[in-house]
Amino acid sequence: MQDNLMFTQSFSNIVSSISDIGEKWHKSDIVKNNISNIKFMHKNINELHKSTEIKNSAIVVSAGPSLHYSNTLETLANSKYKGVVIAIDGSYVKCIKAGIVPDYVLTLDPHPTRLVRWFGDYDFEKNMENDDYFSRQDLDIDFRDNSLKQNQENIELVNKFANKTKLIISSTSPLNVVQRTIDAGFDMYWWLPLVDNPDEGNSLTRKMYQSSKLPAMNTGGNVGTAAWVFAKFWLNIENVAVIGMDLGYKKNLPYSMTQTYPELSGIFGEENISAEFFPEFENPLTNEIFYTDPTYAWYRQNIIDMINNTDSKLYNCTEGGILFGSNIENIRLVDFIEQNS
Amino acid sequence: MSDFLKGNYDLDTIIQDDKEEVKDKFRENALNSIGGSMVFVEREKMIWDGSDDLKE
Repeated sequence: MQDNLMFTQSFSNIVSSISDIGEKWHKSDIVKNNISNIKFMHKNINELHKSTEIKNSAIVVSAGPSLHYSNTLETLANSKYKGVVIAIDGSYVKCIKAGIVPDYVLTLDPHPTRLVRWFGDYDFEKNMENDDYFSRQDLDIDFRDNSLKQNQENIELVNKFANKTKLIISSTSPLNVVQRTIDAGFDMYWWLPLVDNPDEGNSLTRKMYQSSKLPAMNTGGNVGTAAWVFAKFWLNIENVAVIGMDLGYKKNLPYSMTQTYPELSGIFGEENISAEFFPEFENPLTNEIFYTDPTYAWYRQNIIDMINNTDSKLYNCTEGGILFGSNIENIRLVDFIEQNS
Repeated sequence: MSDFLKGNYDLDTIIQDDKEEVKDKFRENALNSIGGSMVFVEREKMIWDGSDDLKE
């Protein structure tokens, strides 16, 4: 199975520059948040090893487009699956609405205004002013028609269910997410994103550790991959499946509805945005065609490198998307649940 | 700003063209979005508990 997809040179150049871009634009925020959040850090993820019953399988619910076009959430909700269910911030409310109360929910992103919406945002109108990041994408169709009403419902849902799920919260989270999740009543366990090798000189991870003293987990650059790391390497769960980890879009979705289209067209010019920036691939399980973009392609290469470097295996039950490779088994979610029941 | 538009007298304040600033701000936001949700460069170590740091 192919680990390295074939891209054009200009696409590869964008992907290879993302690490530097991320460091340049997030470094000051994450260092600052890691310090300002110390006063809230009453428990960290080490506490989980004292109390958690060991299970041999987990399902990570990422927040890709397939949560809307496939029936994976319904399949999970209607199953008698007894393993661990781990949501991420962007899929948490969708899980609740589907009748799934996750054991854990992870949050990572330091964005000061966008992230809090996943928990219901009391300042929704102000935070979404002049920001169409979510509204133009297909990731949250519920929000398109009546976002204010949906946001209010989400606030009430999260307030009702928060105390049933452990929140695995990054020390780099923005203050509004921290305050909102405390207010909602989550049982909170803090961790530090492992953003580089702490054994190397000038390590940002080691510098942040010296402030917060939190155990660190790799993230792969996004919260979905961080949730897989949490399941596989922190909870030491043998069989870990993912759903909603598309890292791509269905072929019929217009490029303009993708996550970084305005940014790409702003930098390169709308007239220069072509299929070259959105290469297509066939999913080996469904044989459907999906296309990706530079950010998703970067996430894909990160998690594939992490899987291969640790000699791990990942069960991809997304039933779509572009995440496939030599140590990734693409299977139907019903089959994973049956094999692990 | 063109010298022609400045007139034939000197100004006390320095006039700056903000177009470059707006462009830089846009590029900053654009790069921020493309840059993913977290800094990431480590591909081998998955977890680290900081224990070696405490010994130092």
